[in-house]
Amino acid sequence: MSNTHQLTNNNMIKLENIEKYYANKGLKNYILRHVTTTINQGEFVSIMGPSGAGKSTLLNIIGMLEAPTYGLYEFMGENITSLNERKRIELYRNHIGFVFQAYHLIDEMTVAENIEAPLLYKKVGSAERKSRVADMLDRFNIVGKKDLFPNQLSGGQQQLVGIARAVVAQPALILADEPTGNLQSVQALQIMELFQNLNKTDNITIIQVTHSEANAAYGTRILNLQDGLII
Amino acid sequence: MIFIFVRHQLSYDQYYANKDRIYRVTTEFTYAEGKEYQNGVPRPLGPAMRNDFGMIEELAMLQGSAGIIKVMDDAGKLRLKTSEPTFYVEPQYFKIFDIKWLEGNAQQALSAPNTVALSKEMALKFFGDWHQALGKTINYQNKTDLIVTGVFADLPENTSNPIKIAIAYAGYANRNMKQWGAVSSSSECYILLKEGADIADLNGPRDAFVKKYYKEDKSEKTNHLFQLLTDIHTNETYGNFARKTTGKASLAGLIVIGLFLLVTACINFVNLATAQAVSRSKEVGVRKVMGSMRRQLVVQFLTETVTLTCIALAIACALTEAALPGMESLFKENISFSLLEHPVIFVFMLAMVVVVGFLAGFYPAMVMSGFSPALAIKNKISIGNSGGGYLRKVLVVVQFAITIILITGTLVVLKQMKFLREKPLGFNSTAVAMVRVPVDSLSVLKYETLKTRISKIPGVLSATLCSAAPSSEDNNTNNFSFGGTEDAPFNANTKSGDEDYFKTFGLQLLAGRSLLKSDTIKEYVVNETLLKKLNVRNPQDAIGKIVALGGGNKGPVVGVVKDFNNMSLKEAISPILIVSQKTRYENIAVKMDSKQIAETSRQVEAAWNAIYVDYVYSSSFVDDDINAYYESERVMGVLFKVFASVIIFISFVGLFGLISFVAAQRTKEMAIRKVLGATTIELVGMLNSSFLLMVFLANIVAWPIAYILISKWLAGYTYRISLSVWPFVIAMVLSMLITIVTVTLRSYKAARTNPIDALKYE
Repeated sequence: MSNTHQLTNNNMIKLENIEKYYANKGLKNYILRHVTTTINQGEFVSIMGPSGAGKSTLLNIIGMLEAPTYGLYEFMGENITSLNERKRIELYRNHIGFVFQAYHLIDEMTVAENIEAPLLYKKVGSAERKSRVADMLDRFNIVGKKDLFPNQLSGGQQQLVGIARAVVAQPALILADEPTGNLQSVQALQIMELFQNLNKTDNITIIQVTHSEANAAYGTRILNLQDGLII
Repeated sequence: MIFIFVRHQLSYDQYYANKDRIYRVTTEFTYAEGKEYQNGVPRPLGPAMRNDFGMIEELAMLQGSAGIIKVMDDAGKLRLKTSEPTFYVEPQYFKIFDIKWLEGNAQQALSAPNTVALSKEMALKFFGDWHQALGKTINYQNKTDLIVTGVFADLPENTSNPIKIAIAYAGYANRNMKQWGAVSSSSECYILLKEGADIADLNGPRDAFVKKYYKEDKSEKTNHLFQLLTDIHTNETYGNFARKTTGKASLAGLIVIGLFLLVTACINFVNLATAQAVSRSKEVGVRKVMGSMRRQLVVQFLTETVTLTCIALAIACALTEAALPGMESLFKENISFSLLEHPVIFVFMLAMVVVVGFLAGFYPAMVMSGFSPALAIKNKISIGNSGGGYLRKVLVVVQFAITIILITGTLVVLKQMKFLREKPLGFNSTAVAMVRVPVDSLSVLKYETLKTRISKIPGVLSATLCSAAPSSEDNNTNNFSFGGTEDAPFNANTKSGDEDYFKTFGLQLLAGRSLLKSDTIKEYVVNETLLKKLNVRNPQDAIGKIVALGGGNKGPVVGVVKDFNNMSLKEAISPILIVSQKTRYENIAVKMDSKQIAETSRQVEAAWNAIYVDYVYSSSFVDDDINAYYESERVMGVLFKVFASVIIFISFVGLFGLISFVAAQRTKEMAIRKVLGATTIELVGMLNSSFLLMVFLANIVAWPIAYILISKWLAGYTYRISLSVWPFVIAMVLSMLITIVTVTLRSYKAARTNPIDALKYE
């Protein structure tokens, strides 16, 4: 990885001609076609489009959860398509945080433990883990909830924990798949403000998938997808 | 299968109509340092008891023997020559035991000397047709002609007195022997109690009886006990004519193993069923919405389980049938698995189905029927809230604990077996054949010729005439005096052997010399234990002391032999006297060159047959005889191995099933963790650790139990391995290893799946 290169053009994600299709009885069922875009460090991008447009697939490809059928994907100047699993896990640990629509917290663990989990995999020392988790709880105003289990929290609170878990590892990029899809509008507002705040003060790049124009407005740029094409 | 075996063992002697009133009179010797038990009685006891006891309806003496039987055909030519076990039987025996007579009448047939009754099988063997046996003669021991006066039905396999040839007791040479001190294990006495009488009522007359016939003696007290017929087979204290006892302890052990098996299987079923409950939750929900009551659901699930058990039973029956030959060869017995003959098996199976069905079906049924329909339909039931998470964990721990106990047990049993096989006995038993020699006075004269001939065979290193090998089940104990006139406070085991006895068996002398050639008792060799018991410290001091055996046969001690094990290693070494006594010899022990055993054996047999034309050759190797002591241990070992493997298999199949469900349930969690940066290896490790913890807990639970059980078992052996920590460690490592393999196999797949599939929103 060349730091100089990254600093000079500030490109975090570079997608070129990304295609994704499933072959079904010889028919190619396209989900993404010729997606080409670059996303710079510090952007807050909202991917919008109707259902089935391929928003989530695009996010998954960016998050390296899915491989494109064809095309070039560079993350921080590195070609992802040729990356092995270990390298990819390295990236997860150090650069990418995920936020899900269904929160996907681990039911058997308390709020504090959930937030701590990524640090365990990052092999952060115990003392530092404690302080970082405390920081997060403090910052997201959920100190009082730290010993509760996810099913004892409201949806909005769960999503806060989800975001705290994504942020605690100090990623460069947060990928959020309809983070407010399950929330009431007041809570959704809160979450979006939080994202904006993270983007501005912490300079975290955020890519979110959303249906709502209002939510998209919090971002700095909107990517409109329709039938797998950027329009 | 275990049930069949146990039933078979418990069925011994159960079929006699009077079984609750039949007792065997046994003998108990009390010495200063303990008690000894004998299944035989002094020969004069029978007539005396018949006189003195009013409560006995019938009494019969039974004298075990064996001999050469020759059957001539009509032309007077030899038709058959065979050596068979025989019994001298009093006619009353057949009053006590209701054995069916096919020809003749028991009470008349065996009242005169030189008459014999044959079992159907024997009659068939001797004469080709049992209908024609009556009135024919057979020659016994080349001496007496016996007239066949009766034929009785074959006794079942499960009898302790397998009488096939019943010779009239009236013709038994020693029947009028008066010695009360001589007790042979082949003289048994059976009594039939009068109806309504209690065996305890016999104690009073018994005490008076003992006082009357035995002289007071401080050092040795003789008493007689009454043993219920049905106890004979399962009581290991005494021997019996069938030479088969299966101790209650071994039977209990088997039952425990069987229960273990059953419990493990049930636990597995409960675990898997509850785990599977999740996948059936929707069905339950729908049924509930349709208006099914909880009771109906419970009944439905129970029926399913019981049906399943029935199918399993059918398969088990087929497998049992298939495994029966193997089992028979293991136990060397005929075991029948026939529903018609033993309806009790059927009852047992039925009971099994019900018990197992309910045991295994009840809990899952309760859990499943308890689902809330709203959640169930929405597929929201997960293993977490399907209840009993802890119960399931406890069950898994119990199951593993059982497995571990069995693994440990198996290891120890095998190790003890190996120890028994390899422990030096103090004498050399390799390649020594014991060849029986006839004991009648004519044959005795030919002993020397036989010995010389056999010694000349190339490949024979040495030969000795003797009563028995140093270690033998054939033991003879006598009272004796040492260096005085008063009898020693204990009896000595007497072994007879000629001057080559020590050489042939490689016995080592600590002091003095071995016996010189002699036909009668002139001098003695004693063993260390005897001296220790007499408080003689230095073996040298014993030399020259005068010993008198059984009140006579005075002679000096000429040598002290190093201790050797004279019985199975379950027993301690007895005090032993070795003497030369030609009339007591029953075998010629032939030490052979181990490289040419086959050829040498053939020549020994040829030489023997040339000298004893009228007799039947039989021999065995000392090593085999010694191994035969440990037959029950061998059987136990095999059983342990088989059942331990089965249980291990069941446990780990169960574990595999369980981990499959756990892995399925935790797919989402694993996907999340993966996205958070966990590697596949970390995930596999995570799943493993929770199971390993359970297995470790199981180990902790199993150790003390295994320790107690094993110590108890080992305590039955005077010579035993010291219980080390290794079997426990090995069992733990083994169980953990298998767990890791099982869990890893299954969880690796789960951990490798793409997280995206699990994380997609509904």
